[in-house]
Amino acid sequence: MPSGESVLASVQSILLSQERQQIQELEQQLNLMRCQTQVTIEQLQGRTGELEAELDATRLALRKAEAQARDLETAVDLLQRKAQADSEGLIERITPVFSSLVSRQIRDSRDEMAEALGPVMSEAIRVQIRDSRQEMVEALSPIIGETVQRAVGEFFREMQQNVDAQLRVTFGPNGLMRGLKARLRGVSAAELALRDSLSFELREIFIIQQGSGLLMARYHLAGQETADSDLVSGMLTAVRDFVHDSFSQPDVEAADLNEVQYGDKRIFVQGGRAAFVAVVLTGIEPAGFRAALRQLVDELNVSYERPLRAYNGDPATLPVLTPLVEEFVANVLAEPAKPHGMSRRQGWFLIGSMAGLLLFTAVACFYLQFTIALYPIAFPSATPTITPSVTPSLTPTPTPTPTPTHTPTPTLTVTPTFTPTPTLTPTPTPTLTPSLTPTPTYTPSPTYTPSATLTQTYTPTPPAAAPFANVWVRREPSLDSEPFVAVEFDTPFILISVLGPWAEVEWLSDLPWLPGVQRGWVPFAWIQLRTDVLPMTATPTPTPET
Amino acid sequence: MKRSVQKKVCLLGDFAVGKTSLVRQFVEGQFDDRYLSTIGVKVSRKTVELDQVQLNMMIWDLVGGNEYLHTERSYLMGTAGALIVCDLTRENTLDAYARYTQQVRAVNADAVIFYLANKLDLTAERQITTGQLAQLCASLGGDFLLTSAKTGAGVNEAFTQLARQIEGE
Repeated sequence: MPSGESVLASVQSILLSQERQQIQELEQQLNLMRCQTQVTIEQLQGRTGELEAELDATRLALRKAEAQARDLETAVDLLQRKAQADSEGLIERITPVFSSLVSRQIRDSRDEMAEALGPVMSEAIRVQIRDSRQEMVEALSPIIGETVQRAVGEFFREMQQNVDAQLRVTFGPNGLMRGLKARLRGVSAAELALRDSLSFELREIFIIQQGSGLLMARYHLAGQETADSDLVSGMLTAVRDFVHDSFSQPDVEAADLNEVQYGDKRIFVQGGRAAFVAVVLTGIEPAGFRAALRQLVDELNVSYERPLRAYNGDPATLPVLTPLVEEFVANVLAEPAKPHGMSRRQGWFLIGSMAGLLLFTAVACFYLQFTIALYPIAFPSATPTITPSVTPSLTPTPTPTPTPTHTPTPTLTVTPTFTPTPTLTPTPTPTLTPSLTPTPTYTPSPTYTPSATLTQTYTPTPPAAAPFANVWVRREPSLDSEPFVAVEFDTPFILISVLGPWAEVEWLSDLPWLPGVQRGWVPFAWIQLRTDVLPMTATPTPTPET
Repeated sequence: MKRSVQKKVCLLGDFAVGKTSLVRQFVEGQFDDRYLSTIGVKVSRKTVELDQVQLNMMIWDLVGGNEYLHTERSYLMGTAGALIVCDLTRENTLDAYARYTQQVRAVNADAVIFYLANKLDLTAERQITTGQLAQLCASLGGDFLLTSAKTGAGVNEAFTQLARQIEGE
């Protein structure tokens, strides 16, 4: 039988077995942690050693740096003393380095440099101008003078070109018109040409509400718009009001601001009841511009007074004003200058000119009539009696191929009653018809130049003729050509030319289907000459005049 | 896209109350201590985004004082709103409220008027109390705001509130 102790031991072992196991596990963990702690301590000890070494090195470096700083301080001190003693030499030594640095900086960071230096430069210039005005003037005058000279030169070159262009048309109809226009305006033609040469450019048009100064519409040329047109219209209104209120007098109708000039720009202002219009332009405005502007403003204020007056800043409530403005612009830019109303002096000048012109015309007519009437009395033998020696024998030179170089040099034997040897110089003009049929139309234009003091012009009448009987007339001098009309016996012909057996004649037709002067070819044998034929029409071999 | 509307607004008040500085702070976000008296009028523009519209405020900063009273009447023509400004450090500038209110109403009875008391940053020199302002503005029938053109306090609120009241928002 087991003793009580053994039983107790067994019971203990059964009850405490788990605890013992746990104790063992804890002991194992504790051992493991001790090992880890030991390792960590060793690592930390190693790290501490390293840090101590680094700290020693840093201390050493610090000591060296302190030594260097002391050296530098000494050097700077020395430099300061040297600089104080020899500032000029130092500037000379530093300047190239400094210049190089600045140059490199400007090259690499131009914008930054400009931004950095801009305010300083402006301030420096302002201070310099304030303190050393004369020196600044002397320093800047060559540059400014050159700039001004260049600008003025460019302006005059442009003006010269414009004046040249104006003068090129001086001798044409435009030039004459300009001269007349200048006289009417009471200025010289040169002044008018100079004025016309100054270019006119319409830049912007503002339609602004009266009173509030709110901008209602704006027109501008491409690239010509003002940055902030709202402000412009506001300030323009303010200035206009200021001028109006400041200069108005009691019992006198207040005048408005009409024009503002800024540099080469001018602002024309035209007031209206509900809205006024401001026009920005450069150059000289064309004549009639102000009237056109007034008309635009009137039209705006008459047509749209209610919406313009009621405008409260909402553009949706406004009518479309652009067409009116565009029409105005087109008119102003397209229309040539209309003259202003004439002054009293100009009016009298115009009336006087017209009266003088009428008087001159009347005197000229009277003189002409008088001269014509008295001419036969004054010069009774002035009309030469030309008696050409007739050479009726016609010797044509019919050539199958017509040669328009047929240039006869006829000799006219004239027996004038007043001059011994008149000379007739005909100018033949052979004409080639398109069908290459020889039509040697011979139109002599002889100039009769007597050796006496009297000079006469002789215009010979083509020889008259008439058909022996009714005769067919053809278009061409050939039997192959169809006759187009029959001419009755004794119809008066004018002999135009002769080609072989054919005669070219002209007559006055009274046929209803062929009225008027007609021309055609008939056989020469069928006509009878009623006047002498000049030898020029028939003599192919001219005889020099004696 | 919001519709764009243009309105004229005038700034009124005695000289040196800070009208121009208020406009500059509102329009450009800048302040300059130097005092430059306004000659006549200066027109500025600032766009204010409201719920319904984009309001282009044409701000007419008018010369202070009574010297140009006659001209001011012309300048007030067509104004949709007005900001009347006093200086918190000068009690006598408060009198301008009634005077300018009358002037604005004479030109445009429907104009929206807002009262500003400027130079809030100068606390040590302040002479006008909020109670005084409230009592006066209530009698004139308008709201008021304390502003400082230097620090920007209340400036945007003043203009924006005016814009909202003009547009009825």
